[in-house]
Amino acid sequence: MTASGSAAAPRRFSRAGERRRIAFRALGVQAVWNYDTLQAVGFAWSLLPGLERIYPDRAERAGRVLAHLDLINANPYLSTLGLGVALRLEQEVARDPAIAGPRQARLLKALNGPLGALGDELFWGAWRPALGLTAALFALATMSVWPALIFLVAFNGLAQSVRFGGVRAGFAGGAGIARVLRDPFWRRATGRARTLGAVAAGAAFGAGLVWAGTAAGDLGWRDADGAWAWASAAAFALSVFLLVLGARGGRGERPLVPVLALLVLLAACSALVQAGGGG
Amino acid sequence: MIEPLEGLGLAGLGAVVFLDQWPAVQAMVSRPLVVGSLAGLLLGAPADGALWGAVFEVAFLAIQPVGAARYPDAGLAALAGTTVALVGLREVSRAGGEPVYPAVLAVAVALGAGALGEWAGGWHRRRNGVTAARVQSQVAVGDLGAPGRAVLIALARGALIGAVVTLLSLIGGLAGLALAQDVGAGLLSAAGLRLPAVVVAAVVGVRLFLRGPSSRLAWVGGAAGGAALAWLGSA
Repeated sequence: MTASGSAAAPRRFSRAGERRRIAFRALGVQAVWNYDTLQAVGFAWSLLPGLERIYPDRAERAGRVLAHLDLINANPYLSTLGLGVALRLEQEVARDPAIAGPRQARLLKALNGPLGALGDELFWGAWRPALGLTAALFALATMSVWPALIFLVAFNGLAQSVRFGGVRAGFAGGAGIARVLRDPFWRRATGRARTLGAVAAGAAFGAGLVWAGTAAGDLGWRDADGAWAWASAAAFALSVFLLVLGARGGRGERPLVPVLALLVLLAACSALVQAGGGG
Repeated sequence: MIEPLEGLGLAGLGAVVFLDQWPAVQAMVSRPLVVGSLAGLLLGAPADGALWGAVFEVAFLAIQPVGAARYPDAGLAALAGTTVALVGLREVSRAGGEPVYPAVLAVAVALGAGALGEWAGGWHRRRNGVTAARVQSQVAVGDLGAPGRAVLIALARGALIGAVVTLLSLIGGLAGLALAQDVGAGLLSAAGLRLPAVVVAAVVGVRLFLRGPSSRLAWVGGAAGGAALAWLGSA
């Protein structure tokens, strides 16, 4: 069975109800995440509503579920794209298992990398930290729960749309899913999120300068004197320097450096306040 | 220090937070910013909770849950840290003192809770490996209900882990708070808390997002806007 041969029939098979059931199950695609097969159990479980239709025979269906229990990896929001592709190819496998079976296995294996990297880059590397930083700055400035709420709505607006639209897109793409993954949307969305993050990082710097000036007066640091105050100020400066050296973007390198720096900064600030007699 | 109902609510929140981080949904309810706000609502101090959520959000901002990477459990860390900060504030206010948070203790408790959560998450993943191997053998003999049962069991185990880690962290954190109350060190008001947090935010933000000339331009624009807004806010 060729890709063009399979393109004639499959669309009518993927009904909206079935797609929804698969997408809802995909909310738990990482439930049994483990170091050996990663998301495989959740993936196979999510695919079951489609397999029930394609393989009415129980033994045959069990064989196909088993084929999906090997190793599956994807960013959780993009896993539905893989599910859609798998569903489309399962229909080919049902017609010609000898040729389409190995082809499907090869394709899903090849998809592991792009579905992981693309989603990680967009959601974990750009969208979430950019929105998180922006919302955190507003929360620091306003002491309100609204930034958290807006963060939730904005993040899920994109992430859950991608997740719930994924089964349909993956099914429509089938073996040609690379076209969906090469769509400029992913690069544009990542770029815009990074720009938002850069603006927020700049805003943190600008607001920090102003707040440092007001804090010096409000907290009594200008009146602070003595060796203890100088030592606290030096600790503050040193921890900022170490933070600059140690904090890394990217794949979770040195994840504790910012937290440890925060701890030292708080201790230094608290000591400065006590030395200055402020509140 | 905290009412039994509050403790129960926080343990329930811990269960949701643990599940949301990677096993299910990933709606970002587990982000420190959201967790802090929810903990604040549970403890009757939403504004203080939002502030502490923001502090922990910037501290844990650079962590990315990529593949098998190991990282502290930011959600449970923020939950324990925010609770200690807010309970400390409440105790000080009841005693008629200045409204200050036990800031250093709160972050130290968060570090401990994050490490405990990381260990528990690793254990949960290893247990999931055993479950996944069992599912393969069950499906091989035609048991098609095995994947669904495995998902439910893993979710229940994750919820239990989240609740237990939260309770253990809170017991440790509140014991620390009781011991530290007489020391009177590491205390900060909301105004004092803001500056260290924004310094961490500025540095981590630069490391994450400053790549290429256009991002530098965006940074400069953000710096001018941030300074203007902060100045207007303080004027």
